[in-house]
Amino acid sequence: MMNLDRRLISQFLLAAALFYPAAASAQMASPSSAKPDSAKTDAASKNLSHDLSGVWMQYRDGDVPGTPGMNGVNEHFRPPLTPWGQSQVDHASALQGAKAIAGKEDTSVLRCEPSGPPQVLILPNPWEIVQIPGRVLMFFEEQHLWREIWTDGRAMPKDPDPSWLGYSVGHWEGDTLVVETAGFNDKEWVDLYGNPRTSTTKLTERYRRLNHDTLEQQIIIEDPKVYTKPWVSPPKLHKLEPGWELAEWFCVLNENHEYDSVVRKPAGVAPVPGSGK
Amino acid sequence: MGHRFSYSLGVLAAVMACAPLVFGQSTPQAAKKKTSAAQSSPSKSVSHDLSGVWMQYDDGTAPGFARMNGVDDRTRPPLTPWGQEKFDAAKPLMGPRAKGGQEDSAALHCDPSGPPQLLILPNPWEIVQMKGRTFMFFEEYHIWRTIWTDGRPLPKDTDPSWLGYSVGHWEGDTFVVDTVGFNDKVWADLSGNPRSEQAHLIERYRRINHDTLEQQITIDDPKSYTKPWVSPPKLHKLEPKWEIAEWFCAASELSTYDKDVRKPSGGEPVK
Repeated sequence: MMNLDRRLISQFLLAAALFYPAAASAQMASPSSAKPDSAKTDAASKNLSHDLSGVWMQYRDGDVPGTPGMNGVNEHFRPPLTPWGQSQVDHASALQGAKAIAGKEDTSVLRCEPSGPPQVLILPNPWEIVQIPGRVLMFFEEQHLWREIWTDGRAMPKDPDPSWLGYSVGHWEGDTLVVETAGFNDKEWVDLYGNPRTSTTKLTERYRRLNHDTLEQQIIIEDPKVYTKPWVSPPKLHKLEPGWELAEWFCVLNENHEYDSVVRKPAGVAPVPGSGK
Repeated sequence: MGHRFSYSLGVLAAVMACAPLVFGQSTPQAAKKKTSAAQSSPSKSVSHDLSGVWMQYDDGTAPGFARMNGVDDRTRPPLTPWGQEKFDAAKPLMGPRAKGGQEDSAALHCDPSGPPQLLILPNPWEIVQMKGRTFMFFEEYHIWRTIWTDGRPLPKDTDPSWLGYSVGHWEGDTFVVDTVGFNDKVWADLSGNPRSEQAHLIERYRRINHDTLEQQITIDDPKSYTKPWVSPPKLHKLEPKWEIAEWFCAASELSTYDKDVRKPSGGEPVK
C-alpha cells in the first residue's frame, strides 16, 4: 500500500531534483564514478534475463552539473544542434540547468500538459514495468502516465498521428529489450533544459537487467531536424524497489498554485531546508 | 488508429455535447431488461477472464443520455442535505439542469476523472488481469487504475484521491471491486451528483458470454445519499480488434477541443 512516507520521499526527490539544482551541485556524485560497466556485471541468470517487471527507481548518480539525477538523457553527450534546433533551444525558457532564469522557468509540464518519453523516463520518480503477452506496459508515478510497448512483432506504423507518448514497439536482442518509438508531437522537450522533441524524433531505449536488483537503461535520440547526429546517452542504472507501489499523482491545474508554492521554487530562491547544504 | 480516434471523439461529441437532442432516439426500458437473468450460463473458461477492450452498448435509458446509464439518475435515492447543497451548486454538463454556456465539470478543466464517472463515459476501456492485480485502462484521459486482488483489505485511512483505492475479489462468476478513499473533486456522473470522501463504490462485473460484460454500479455514500444508490446492470461489448488510443486532456488544446467537440448544451450539434 502506498503510504505517506513513500509519497513524501517522492515529493522530496522531485523537489530536490527538479527545483533546487543550483543548490545541489555541491553534493553531486563525482563524474563518471557511477557509470555502469556493463561488461563486468554478473551475467543475468536465464530466468531473469527477459523479466524486467517491478517498480524501479533511478540511482541518484547524476553527473550533469545542477542535476542530481535525470541524466538518462545526458546533455554532455548532445551532438551539435542544427540551426533550427539551436533557435528552438535559444527560445526555450529552461526549467533548470545553466540557462534557467529565476521566475522565468517554463516547461509544458508546469502547465499540467502531459509528459511523455524520453522526458518522463528521466524524471526521478518511481516507475513500473509490467509484461504481458504481446505487450510491455510502463507505469510512471509522474502524472500517473502509462504507455504500452507492442512486442507482438508488429511493425512501426508508417504514418502515426503525432502524440504525447508516441507509438512504441519492442523486441529482444539477447538480454536487451529494445524499444523504438516514433510519432511524437512537438509540444514538449526531451528533457527539462529545452532540448526539442519533434514529429521526426525517433527514440530508442535499451533495457537490460544486470542483476536481480538492477536495470540498465540507455536512451538514444535521433532527430535530423534538431540534432546533427544521434544523441547517445550513457547507460543509467535503476534499482528495484520490491516494497514500493506507485502512488496516485496527477498534475491538476487548480492545484498547481499550491504545488508551485510548496514544491516548485524559482531557480534562484533558497532551497528547502536539508535539500542543499 | 486515426480512424478509431475520430470515432471516439464523434461518440463523445454526440453523447456529451448534444444530449438534449437525442431524446427521441433513446429506447426507454427496452434495453435494460435483457441483462442478467435470461443469459446463457458462461462457460468455465471465460468466467474468470474479463480481459479485452470493452465498449458500452448504446442503450441509454435516461432522458437526455444516449448512454452513460451505468450510474442511472432514475434510481438515485434521496439526497442528504449536504448532498442536496452540492447538487444544487453544480452546473451540470448535460441533462435537464444543464444551461447553455454555463455547463461546468471538473473534466472540462482537464482535471482528472475517476470512478464511477470514468466508468460511465461512452469510450473504450480495457481490462488486463494478472496475478494479484487487475488493471483498467480508459481511453478517456488515458487513465489507468489498479484493482488489487491479492487478498489485501481496504486501507483504513487512505489519502483522498481521484481514483480511490481499489481491491477486488470473486464471488462465483462475479468480480466484485470495492473502492474507497475518494476525494470530493469529481462528481459521480455528469449531472452534478456528488461523490464525497465517504463514498464506497462497489462494481460488479460478470462475463455473460464471450462478447458481453455486465457491469453493475452501487454507490454507498452516506454523506451524499440517504441510501445506497444501486444502478441497474449495464452491458458492454467486447471489441477484439480495438486498441486504446492516446487521448489526453491538454489545457493548451482545450479551446480547440471546446470548439470542435464540446458545445454548450443549448448550442448547435456537431454534424
